[in-house]
Amino acid sequence: MADADATADADANANLTEYVTLVSNDGFEFKILRSAAYLAGAIKNSLKPTYGFKEGSENRVDLPTINGVVLEKVCEYLYYNQKHAESKDVPDMEIPPELCLELLIAADYLDV
Amino acid sequence: MIAGRGRQRIRPPRRGLHGDEVDFENTWGIIASAFREIHTKNASRLSYEELYRHAYRIVLKKKGEELYARVRQFEHEWLSNEVRGSVQALFSPNVLANTQSLGGTTANERRVAGEKFLKGLKQAWGDHQVCMSMLADVLMYMDRVYCQDNRRPSIYTAAMMLFRDDILKTPTSDAEGRVVLGLLTHVILDQIQMERDGDVIDKHLIKSCVYMLEGLHDDDKESEELRLYNVSFEREYLDTSREFYHQEAELLLRDSDAGAYCRHARRRIYEEEERCKSTLLESTSPRIQKVVEDELIKHRIHELVEMESGVRFMIDNERLDELNLIYDLNNRVDGNKSELTRAIQKRIVDMGTDANKAAIAASQSTAPAADAGGEKGKGPAPERNSNQQTVAAIKWVEDVLQLKDKFDKVWRESFNSDNLLQTALTRSFADFINSSAFPRSSEYISLFIDENMKKGIKGKTEMEIDNVLEKAIILLRYVQDKDLFERYYKKHLCRRLLMNKSISNEVEKQMISKMKIELGNNFTLKLEAMFKDMTISEELTSGFKHHVEGLGEKDPRRIELAINVLTSMTWPLETMGSSDDDGGKRPKCNFPIAIDRIRRGFEKYYNQKHSGRQLTWLANMGSADIKALFSKIPQKDGTFKERRHELNVSTYGMIILLLFNELPATQHLTFEEIQAQTNIPVNDLIRNLQSLAVAPKTRILLKEPMSKDVRPTDRFFFNEGFNAKFVKIKVGVVSSGNKVESDRERRETEKKNDDSRGFCIEAAVVRIMKQRKELAHQQLVMETLSQLAGQFKPEVNMIKKRIESLIEREYLERIEGVTIDSYRYLA
Repeated sequence: MADADATADADANANLTEYVTLVSNDGFEFKILRSAAYLAGAIKNSLKPTYGFKEGSENRVDLPTINGVVLEKVCEYLYYNQKHAESKDVPDMEIPPELCLELLIAADYLDV
Repeated sequence: MIAGRGRQRIRPPRRGLHGDEVDFENTWGIIASAFREIHTKNASRLSYEELYRHAYRIVLKKKGEELYARVRQFEHEWLSNEVRGSVQALFSPNVLANTQSLGGTTANERRVAGEKFLKGLKQAWGDHQVCMSMLADVLMYMDRVYCQDNRRPSIYTAAMMLFRDDILKTPTSDAEGRVVLGLLTHVILDQIQMERDGDVIDKHLIKSCVYMLEGLHDDDKESEELRLYNVSFEREYLDTSREFYHQEAELLLRDSDAGAYCRHARRRIYEEEERCKSTLLESTSPRIQKVVEDELIKHRIHELVEMESGVRFMIDNERLDELNLIYDLNNRVDGNKSELTRAIQKRIVDMGTDANKAAIAASQSTAPAADAGGEKGKGPAPERNSNQQTVAAIKWVEDVLQLKDKFDKVWRESFNSDNLLQTALTRSFADFINSSAFPRSSEYISLFIDENMKKGIKGKTEMEIDNVLEKAIILLRYVQDKDLFERYYKKHLCRRLLMNKSISNEVEKQMISKMKIELGNNFTLKLEAMFKDMTISEELTSGFKHHVEGLGEKDPRRIELAINVLTSMTWPLETMGSSDDDGGKRPKCNFPIAIDRIRRGFEKYYNQKHSGRQLTWLANMGSADIKALFSKIPQKDGTFKERRHELNVSTYGMIILLLFNELPATQHLTFEEIQAQTNIPVNDLIRNLQSLAVAPKTRILLKEPMSKDVRPTDRFFFNEGFNAKFVKIKVGVVSSGNKVESDRERRETEKKNDDSRGFCIEAAVVRIMKQRKELAHQQLVMETLSQLAGQFKPEVNMIKKRIESLIEREYLERIEGVTIDSYRYLA
């Protein structure tokens, strides 16, 4: 089964776009690298090609619980995380304190 | 950092996610209908995010537990109502039939039905897995928050358990007690059985089902041992396999030969291994291997080895491959390979005993023939007899060597040069070679060497010679009574040296050095001393020759003397005399005056060099070259010619001939007269006269009456008409060659051997006691045995007697008042 999955993934990967679109509740669209987006568990699951959910076929995830400001910061973090995944002594990411709570909720929701 | 920006406030989320009240029933309705869509593979219109959000909200509202229960309930119903039905539809009569009996349906029908069932089940399982992973992802937030906090199994796991309970553990039909799981096991086993019978089955399909069983657990804790695979399938699998192989072994043992059985067993083992890889799980491999090995090998190896076509047959027919198979199989179940070892040992001992018997038979079968010959004249008959005994001895050695080669080959090629088996082989060889029913091995081996030294190695390359010697050493290694061998070897070597029978001194020395390596310095000490004596004797001879020349008396008729001075301790002189009836004291034979003069001359010379030594002349061992002139007699071409011959005769022969020198041609001497004048021992005289007067080619004397036997009343004439083609004539003395001893001689040798063993034992005992001062009886015996192991294996009785005798002679004393028999050494 495992190998069957792997081949299915490989097949699906072939026609996957490099970028996916994340949409905030106030209509902002963020096109980010698929690999970066996958760092968020919920986004990853929603896009899983084998499941065939709507998001997967459109490469577009609506996130009606998150506004544009927060989503921008989330995307920034996803790239930041991807970039520094294997390095040490990483500089802190700048987080405006006023966004803290909302970011926390978003992170919990998206399983980042 | 944050404190530094004190002016800014942390904003509360503008619109709390949890702000709105969540209508649980409504939300669940949405989720449930979406799940239904997922189960029917219609997910494309659903939004993951939406479902996820719903579940997220419910969990946030602390309704996680309710959601969890609802999902379980949903799955339970789904499985019971939808899936179970489709699985039950797969129970065709053919699948069910095999649960009761194998009759009625053909294997093929069963196979097709079984495959259909497996396929259906696999399908249901696969679907369930995919759907449940989707569901689980949708419910990720619940798993993450609710399940972890409350220590519930993840929803995926829970759903898998539901599959187990709602599908696998439901009865196949209402009437029956069997559950689907049992049926599944049975179908798989049936398929495997078909494969064993030679059918082709869908291994991949079975493997999928096996994976399912592996993934499910019998309890809810997911422990390794309680995987459904182990609990329900593997056990059954091992049981049926055991039964199957049990019957198969029985059948095969009855119907086929051992080689085929081995091949089959090996194939089965291999098959099972492959099956575990391709069809089942590798973790089963060692277990099923054990079952097969137990049933096909361990419980059967005895019968297998003993089969008519078993080990014995294989050895006899050089079935090296099959022996290798047996070895391999036996090695699997028994590191000691005891069965195989036993069979091989038995075969060796049997074959060895056969060789022994053949040798004995060969040496005895000639006896009647000799008797028959004895009717005509008893002269050469014993000779032929003993010659044939010698042949028997050589044959025995060659037989044994052949046997050794044979088993070495088997050992190398079939037994992978296994160490344990080598020791077993060695032991068996030693067993029959030293068997008490066959006491002659030492003598035979020595004879074999003797024969080779005298004739065998002629015209052979060094390599070949080395080979022969090596073989002899190999056999020698097996012999237990090395002292007996030494005795014989000394005797034979002595003859070879004194009579110049040995072809190459080099080879002799090579042999000795080989023995030295094999048996140690002690063993060859005396043999080497014999060689040394020979060298010294050569020096003495040439020294004496010089000495005589130095005396200046030019005597044209001077007799040249070649002498061998032998140390009486090293040379087995007693065995060289033919003279047991002489009662030990060797009568001095009368040398003719000319000879006697030179003898005295040498004695004088020798005494000058080594004073205080006594020389004993062994006329029976010597030989002489005589130039003889025979009178003219008519030749075939009518001419008259004097004939000169150089006769090589034994010393006794020379003495006898010299008697006739002084006799007028027509005169005769009777046996008794000769005896009286020469004082040659009767036995030797008879033999010498036989060779001079009876043997057709060297008939220098004539005898009356002309018979093969020599009787005391016979009269002897000089044969004027002696005729021979060659100038040089060698007059062989009857039975001077080495041969197997007669029984009487044997007893003699053994007795002497026992005597010397007695001394060895005493020496060993004294050595040990001197060191230990006090020792218990048992220990003393043990130590003595181990000290003497290199030479021979003394009987315990003999040791006891020796100890007694040492006590009598006050070397030892018994320690009084101790519970265990102990001795003390008396200085």
